[in-house]
Amino acid sequence: MKEMKLFLGPQHPGMHGNASVHMYVDGDIIKRAFLLPGMLHRGFEKGMERHSWINNISLIPRVCVVEPDINEMAFAMGAETLAGITVPERAHYIRMIILELARLSIHLMSYGGLGSPTGLYTLMYHAHTDRNTILNIFEKITGHRVYHQYIIPGGVRKDLPIGIEEDIHAFLDDLENRYEEYRDLGINNPTVLARITDTIPLPAEVVWELGVTGIGMRSAVNKPYDLRKVMPYARYDKIDFEVPVADYSDAKSRVDCKLQEVIQSISIIRQCLKLIPEGDVRVPLGRGQSMRWTIPKGHVYSVVESSRGEFGYFMVSNGGVNPYRVGVRGASYPQGLLGIEKYLPGTRLDDAALWVDTMGVCSPEIDR
Amino acid sequence: MTNSMSNVKMVSEIIENSYKVLKKEVISQYQVSFEVNKDDVHSILTLLKTSGWIQLSYLSAIDWPEENEFELVYIVFNWDKAVHIQIRTRLNRENPVMNSILPIFPGCKYYERETHEFFGIKFPGNPGHEKQLILEEWDDIPPLRKDFDPRAYSDRKFVKREYSNDFVNLNGEKSKQIAREERKEKIIKVRKGGRK
Amino acid sequence: MLSTKFTKLSKEEVDRKWWEIGDFFRRNSLWMLMYCTGCCAIELPPAMTSAYDMERLGMGPMATPRQADVLLVTGYLSLKTLRRLIYTYEQMSEPKYVVGIGSCTINGGIYHDSHAVINQLNRYVPVDVYVAGCMPNTEAVMNGFVDLMGLIKTKKANGWKDYHARNEWYMANQKAALGEVKVHDEFHE
Repeated sequence: MKEMKLFLGPQHPGMHGNASVHMYVDGDIIKRAFLLPGMLHRGFEKGMERHSWINNISLIPRVCVVEPDINEMAFAMGAETLAGITVPERAHYIRMIILELARLSIHLMSYGGLGSPTGLYTLMYHAHTDRNTILNIFEKITGHRVYHQYIIPGGVRKDLPIGIEEDIHAFLDDLENRYEEYRDLGINNPTVLARITDTIPLPAEVVWELGVTGIGMRSAVNKPYDLRKVMPYARYDKIDFEVPVADYSDAKSRVDCKLQEVIQSISIIRQCLKLIPEGDVRVPLGRGQSMRWTIPKGHVYSVVESSRGEFGYFMVSNGGVNPYRVGVRGASYPQGLLGIEKYLPGTRLDDAALWVDTMGVCSPEIDR
Repeated sequence: MTNSMSNVKMVSEIIENSYKVLKKEVISQYQVSFEVNKDDVHSILTLLKTSGWIQLSYLSAIDWPEENEFELVYIVFNWDKAVHIQIRTRLNRENPVMNSILPIFPGCKYYERETHEFFGIKFPGNPGHEKQLILEEWDDIPPLRKDFDPRAYSDRKFVKREYSNDFVNLNGEKSKQIAREERKEKIIKVRKGGRK
Repeated sequence: MLSTKFTKLSKEEVDRKWWEIGDFFRRNSLWMLMYCTGCCAIELPPAMTSAYDMERLGMGPMATPRQADVLLVTGYLSLKTLRRLIYTYEQMSEPKYVVGIGSCTINGGIYHDSHAVINQLNRYVPVDVYVAGCMPNTEAVMNGFVDLMGLIKTKKANGWKDYHARNEWYMANQKAALGEVKVHDEFHE
């Protein structure tokens, strides 16, 4: 049979974000596949070297579009480690609330995104509307819907507004009430179930070969390898939560893990709202001159568990006002580039979009 | 918690017993960094992989033009004993070549390719690492080197939008920029004690 | 027998009438191309789904450029995307409109000094409506679409005609920034 070259993206409704998958197909079966990244390359790592530590706060959330808060958290944690800042207790809890709300929003978005390759737009409409509620809560807390610039080195920018707990509780109750409905719509729905069961499996041995982290890894190796558990940052060690795992990683079990994480995130936010102490939310930087704030020399790699896996910032300071080098380890780097090249061949053409969705390939953080 | 500090100690023992460590930093209870000789990197990474640090988290480079060196950094992670290990080594900036670690960590394929693209470091042993990955038809020196100036490149290639000053200041206020410049002049004047 | 007297219209007038009728239907059923070129695309799903419900304006997403009316340039454009964007724009059937969302399309925005991002979109493709902000919230995006409908009504959305009239100028700008507009897709091989 003759091989035929097909492009999935960048302009394709099944592709999440501006990336392209080049595929050689034989009939319906993919023979070879590559990801073509770089269409969202903005030169972030260079740009961060040219701005001061504080100016970078407005630059970093733009690295990953759908989940900006993990960027802020990783950057802030790295800067705090190098500068030796102790963050106030209240700020830790506010950070956790923000991070878990962001996790809820991206899980809803990617669960809704399951609708487009499986042809079930109801799911997409429900999920995106609920995500919009989270964005409205973010707007109340931070003033922005998408790019919050809220978690900064030394704490958070502002305290929570008065009465925001009621909004958050109302949303969480609503989401929890409709959780079963979500399951029925998506992964308990026979049409979707037939489509995602046993599709694009990821064996446990190849996880280490690729370097995949996050839900893709946890659903394959059956161990709670979550950075929030393994090396707890913020105050995750004081919160009681479970890490959903599975022993066979196909599209269905990955979506299932995502949905179980939604329940865990809801419980984490509730515990945070209960445990949150009073007090300051931020320590002043640089003795009032935060634009000229310098950080001692050093190399640090700070990591945060994002919805797609380990999200890291490698930062080098040479003692100056600007960071000397900032490197971003996008969480979806392994599954996006190497995963598509090695484990898409042999599957069917229409499953490529499912890989991109369930493994969570986020092109802005691959390109930077 | 008590465990993690002993993990760092264990790593230090593993590496320091068999290899010459130029510089060691304990960054936090979950992270430790070693600066080693270029020739030792492969055997150290092999040793770490066999001792459980099976995930390559990050691979990149740092440019130090004053010392005429590139610094390569490999970060590996162990999920059971949660310690991130940075292995750093220095290369000559004139002819930067480092053997690929593809046989040890297959996941390094695209990291090395990207590092070659952004810094110009060659990785023999990694097939196809010299092809462009993220940039397309790039016509300048690798962009993450310190002597590359993105603003000059941008000014040269992309035309900026020009704004005309045809607005009307209705309430007669000074513009923020003029006010800022005046304030700056005043500060300088005060600092110099009134002298010009 | 009653006779109705028709004044004979000239060909230009007949054409104009047909365009007015066409514009009426066109502006009430705009198909926008689903091409997420940048980060402002993240505000489009709320606009499309039940929270803001774009379909009450008669707008809907369309998968192929051949059948779409509106090209949304959602945010910054790296050189690599610009190549594909020009391909996409030229594939669209006329009349076609371009909406530039976000500050990056206006003057480069936060990436004004980046080595990979163009600074001014209307030098490469004609833009009809800009929506400012980084990122503009969903109301602003919806407002931009309403503005576009108004421009079509008043016959001011003439970007596609401009692309014909000043084609050499656009081509020269594209060449100056990109070197070569052709996409070489033999990339990994």
